[in-house]
Amino acid sequence: MIAHKHILGTFDESLAALRNNVLMMAGLTERSLERAMKGLVNRDDNISATAIADDEEIDQLEKQIDKDGVDILLRFQPVASDLRRVVAAMKLSSNLERMADMATTIARRARKLNQHPPLAEVELIRPMYDHAMSMFKDSVDAFAREDVDLARAVVPRDQKLDDLNRMASHKLVDRMAQDPDQLRGYLNLIFVGRCLERVGDHATNIAEDAVYAAAAEDIRHQTAAASI
Amino acid sequence: MENLVMATPERSVVEAVERMTEAPSTAEPIPACTFQVKNLSIWYGEKRAIDDVTLDIASNAVTAIIGPSGCGKSTFIRALNRMHELVPKTRVEGTVFLNGEDLYSSTVDPAIVRRRVGMVFQKSNPFPTMSIGENVVIGLRLNGVRDRKFLNERLEKSLRMAALWDEVKEDLHKPGTSLSGGQQQRLCIARALAVEPEVLLMDEPCSALDPIATAKIEELIYELKAKYTIVTVTHNMQQAGRVSDYTAFFYLGRLIEFGPTTKIFTNPTERQTEDYITGRFG
Repeated sequence: MIAHKHILGTFDESLAALRNNVLMMAGLTERSLERAMKGLVNRDDNISATAIADDEEIDQLEKQIDKDGVDILLRFQPVASDLRRVVAAMKLSSNLERMADMATTIARRARKLNQHPPLAEVELIRPMYDHAMSMFKDSVDAFAREDVDLARAVVPRDQKLDDLNRMASHKLVDRMAQDPDQLRGYLNLIFVGRCLERVGDHATNIAEDAVYAAAAEDIRHQTAAASI
Repeated sequence: MENLVMATPERSVVEAVERMTEAPSTAEPIPACTFQVKNLSIWYGEKRAIDDVTLDIASNAVTAIIGPSGCGKSTFIRALNRMHELVPKTRVEGTVFLNGEDLYSSTVDPAIVRRRVGMVFQKSNPFPTMSIGENVVIGLRLNGVRDRKFLNERLEKSLRMAALWDEVKEDLHKPGTSLSGGQQQRLCIARALAVEPEVLLMDEPCSALDPIATAKIEELIYELKAKYTIVTVTHNMQQAGRVSDYTAFFYLGRLIEFGPTTKIFTNPTERQTEDYITGRFG
């Protein structure tokens, strides 16, 4: 829905600034995850270090978005779609910050892996990464375009990521038994897989918030609620 | 009632989210209604102020009427106790039922309607020549009540319900106009309650009050709905969101949207409602 402008121009400016910061934060988080994965696959400590350094800027953006959101609530007391957008933006920033933390963790694990001989099992991580990033990009895209259908479609995709992580973990545990000399390396890959699985969880949260912002519908925890 | 806690003007983000997620659907029927307004139209001379409004007003709940100036809010609530008839050249079509009785039936006395449906106005209007106590019981006196004990009991009860008793119990003989603006407004509410109406209409009751007095009136509205059906007109969106259970949005004399307040203020159905409450009108 294309919204008319508010009577108060400063309200429109504040909402636009909030949205721009969220999208910028999403862009930086995406770049940080890409760098973390590149550092892992290419065994490049420099790229891993860059991914870790990215986190600071993302943390500052999270604080800025929270501050801007509170300022808007205080100054303009938004209602209806405006209120939903502000609340969703603040929740998005929290999820993005945690995703960026995952990128940092992956980069740290990659640097540890680089101290030892390469492991072929790093290839188990790639399909998880591709799937998690696809969910992430679609969830942010759904938020930006207020595309409820796209956002809804992201949520069930998390199951596949969980399955991929479970399979990879089983294989890595098996390898730990077969090749105990590389136990630490396999353990680090398990942690990387766990981080990507968490990225999928956060992408799901973002998609749920996107549905709420656009359609005022709370689609969280529906399976659990239905089974009570 | 006397230990009223002041309303908190700003709700936290968490509370706001909770309210949004708990918002009931507009399709949810009103449990019981005090007023049933059907196809109501009101003209002042040639000008149609209300245009074919049909609306049920829930019992023991607060219904807020919102809309831009000139949209018919005040005319609508005045039609609920036939107060608009005091304006010359007024014409009404449609029906208003109060607890099943047709208010506009030729056999109904408007004075009795106004006793059953009390009203509080934007600007507090205590009778300037009367004391605080006399202001409260004047309605009963005009209805012929002379029993002093009964009048004193009703005086205290009404002032307690209006959360004013503790502040004025030593000063009942002082002029009503000696009170502060917020106290005067609560005195007017006590005056309206003294005749034990079925409904309380409020036409922008807080627009001339400071935030503390406003908070007291809002808290009072919340307390009073246990006993009364309340209809309030307000220009303050946040106030409507805080105090009301249902909200009706009027524009150009027409009812654009009506529903649970949580629904109207989080996800209104009509584009005009969304534009108005979010400040995009004009």
